[in-house]
Amino acid sequence: MSIRQMLRAGLVAGCAAMALAFAGPAYAQERELVIAQGIDTSGFDPHAHTTAAIEAIHVNIFDYLLMRDGKGELQPALATEWEQVSDTAMRFRLREGVLFHDGTPLTAADVKFSLERPALDESVIQHSFYDTIREVEVVNDHEVIIHTDGPDPILLNRVSRIGSGIVPKAYVDKVGWDGFAQKPIGTGPFRMVEWRRDDRIIMEAFKEHWRGAPAWDRLIHRTIPEDSTRVGELVSGGVDIATNIPSQDIERVKASGIATTAPWPSFRVMTLFVNTKEGSPLADPKVREAVDLAIDNKALIDTVFNGLGTPVRAAVTPGLSAVPMEYHNTFLYDPERAVALLKEAGYGPNELTLKLQGPSGRYPLDVEMLEIISVMLNAVGINTEIEALEWSSYNSRIWEPNKIEHLALIGHANSLQDGYHAVQRARCGLEFSNKTGWCDKRFDEVVGQSAVTVDPEKRSALLAEAFKLLTDSRSIIFLMQLENTIGIGKDVDWRPSPDEQLWMYAAKPKG
Amino acid sequence: MIGYVVRRVLQMIPVLFGITLVVFVLLRASGDPVSLMLGEEASEAQIAQLREAYGLDRPLYEQYAVYMGDLLTGDFGRSIRYNNQPALEVVLERLPATASLAAMALVYAILISLPAGIIAALYRRRIPDQIASFLSVLGQAMPNFWLGIMLILVFAIWFGWFPVSGREDAYAVVLPGLALGASLAAVLTRLLRSSMIEVLSQDYIRTARAKGIGPTAVMLRHAIRNALLSYLTVIGLEASSLMAGAVVTEQVFAWPGIGLLAIQAINSRDMAVVQTIVILAALIVMLVNLLVDVLYSLIDPRIQHV
Repeated sequence: MSIRQMLRAGLVAGCAAMALAFAGPAYAQERELVIAQGIDTSGFDPHAHTTAAIEAIHVNIFDYLLMRDGKGELQPALATEWEQVSDTAMRFRLREGVLFHDGTPLTAADVKFSLERPALDESVIQHSFYDTIREVEVVNDHEVIIHTDGPDPILLNRVSRIGSGIVPKAYVDKVGWDGFAQKPIGTGPFRMVEWRRDDRIIMEAFKEHWRGAPAWDRLIHRTIPEDSTRVGELVSGGVDIATNIPSQDIERVKASGIATTAPWPSFRVMTLFVNTKEGSPLADPKVREAVDLAIDNKALIDTVFNGLGTPVRAAVTPGLSAVPMEYHNTFLYDPERAVALLKEAGYGPNELTLKLQGPSGRYPLDVEMLEIISVMLNAVGINTEIEALEWSSYNSRIWEPNKIEHLALIGHANSLQDGYHAVQRARCGLEFSNKTGWCDKRFDEVVGQSAVTVDPEKRSALLAEAFKLLTDSRSIIFLMQLENTIGIGKDVDWRPSPDEQLWMYAAKPKG
Repeated sequence: MIGYVVRRVLQMIPVLFGITLVVFVLLRASGDPVSLMLGEEASEAQIAQLREAYGLDRPLYEQYAVYMGDLLTGDFGRSIRYNNQPALEVVLERLPATASLAAMALVYAILISLPAGIIAALYRRRIPDQIASFLSVLGQAMPNFWLGIMLILVFAIWFGWFPVSGREDAYAVVLPGLALGASLAAVLTRLLRSSMIEVLSQDYIRTARAKGIGPTAVMLRHAIRNALLSYLTVIGLEASSLMAGAVVTEQVFAWPGIGLLAIQAINSRDMAVVQTIVILAALIVMLVNLLVDVLYSLIDPRIQHV
């Protein structure tokens, strides 16, 4: 072969190679799903945080014994069957053939290890949600019995939520919890590959996942704290799903043609805690009622949140068990009666001044809420003084017992998704009571009974009475359920679930 | 000279000590990391328990003594927010991101201000000067978060030339660099313009021109060299303050550097991390200042450090 022939052959081969390259990739393109939230995870120790937005990421890596479906109903996950064997014991049959991301099989010993840590180790952040569990007994490799201190009607809620992720014992024994928090292993549909703090978490599909391989090869979770930047990424196609779209940007997202928005209801209920202690003008129930009647919850939602949100008269939201839903989507507003009540209590127009305290930047539009509430109180002749503090200062200065002067804005989530959790801390000597000064024996009695009543109907009736007592006391004035907005790219088929989770196994590519 | 440097380094020790004390006390006076970490659902018993576990229930002087003891052995403490990771590790892994952003900003500032300042001085009170002055006032007046948002809107979303945020892409540094460098460019342009004007009115420039040296040679050899003295000093001093600007820029561009870390750490009262950042920042500022002083005396032989 002459040099010329060699060159020619080389040229032909090169052209052929280029033609092949341009003809299209020889293998299917990786399917990548990118989600963006405002905050990063603190790590991957499933027992060491209390944040729903962090659980929203973790849920793709770890499995629970049970899991809520898109409607909020409990469904089998790592446990396939469960039965109450006595008042204080529940048996769980574990799914067989479940593998951790390192290829080791799930056994009952892993379940015991994972659940006993938050239950027994008092220094674990999730401890207070699991302290009813006394022991997890291993019956055999695929069966455990969870023993509780007393009857625990919400045990199933506990083993299907934040803090109950199942982890491999052998791996944690090897790397320690600090090591695990950096490089976690679970049984979920995605395995963690790399975590760049405050930037991105890169996850890959776990093909051997027990539900079957997910529809995506890679799942990227990005941290984009600035709202406008997160929206910018969404409308330019940089991310597929973006959480907490500000209400003023919803039209912009829809107009982009690249993404759309969906309501993303939150379990969080915004409330005003009321100082009912002696010496406070709000110790008089008439004044408390006047404040409640002066606030037009619907107008508050319309003016501050562009109508996104639902007025409530108690901490009840759809998806919670054992809550009286008649307090949802309702409110009392009667400014004339409020003026009359104030008069009865001995306050003429502008004779009463109340301090409205709240955090700045903790909840969406929290300061704006304070301002509108202030205007509403002014309208019935109550003078107001607003004090808004940065969250960490508010948390330590106002949100301590005996620190609320008159009215303090606070939002409450319900990670146990049950009515008991919504009211139990208002019992005498507990957190809510210490802040408001409200203490009621009958309330304590019914809440205490509901904690050990396994029969769902009796339990709901007890809790309904507790909700009524708390709402009527007006030691906490309930304002509204928050509703966030999530942005979803047009190429992604996914409907957000009511539990604030970003469960991406359910997401499918369109087309 | 060596004696001077040694003396300056020794002076840093009490300053650093004072900084640790101030930051330590302020952080603890203004918020509690445990209740922040546990959120609204926490019980009081649990808050008390974790405070004890982290040693936050002990008297402040005792906590400070423990902290300083650890610090002297190179232990900067552990991050509460990041599941007990060593604070120094958490901070150091962010340095490259912030350093590359600050370097880009500095490059922009020099590339813009050098020609703009010189042209403005040469065409004093004429249109090029007025344009340069207008732009530099604008550059200084625009808050950098607003500039950042505008840059994203125009160049990332409308034109699609650059990524909106993050640090993945090689070009990702272009927009945040510009947002951060704009106000420095403005300061430097104004500074260079006025020092050029001052230099150009000096006797030795007139002498040079009278000797028949061409205008380009006068500019390059006599005017610019002298005008650059104060310019270089300000660059040195402002370079360390770019870190402060990076806090806002990194937030807007989701740029995972020290600035973003600082905001998050302060909001969650992640004490060890905030303290580490402040100590490192103070150290960087002091070292840069020292470097500037030393370089200054090398460039300008009239200044002697003894």
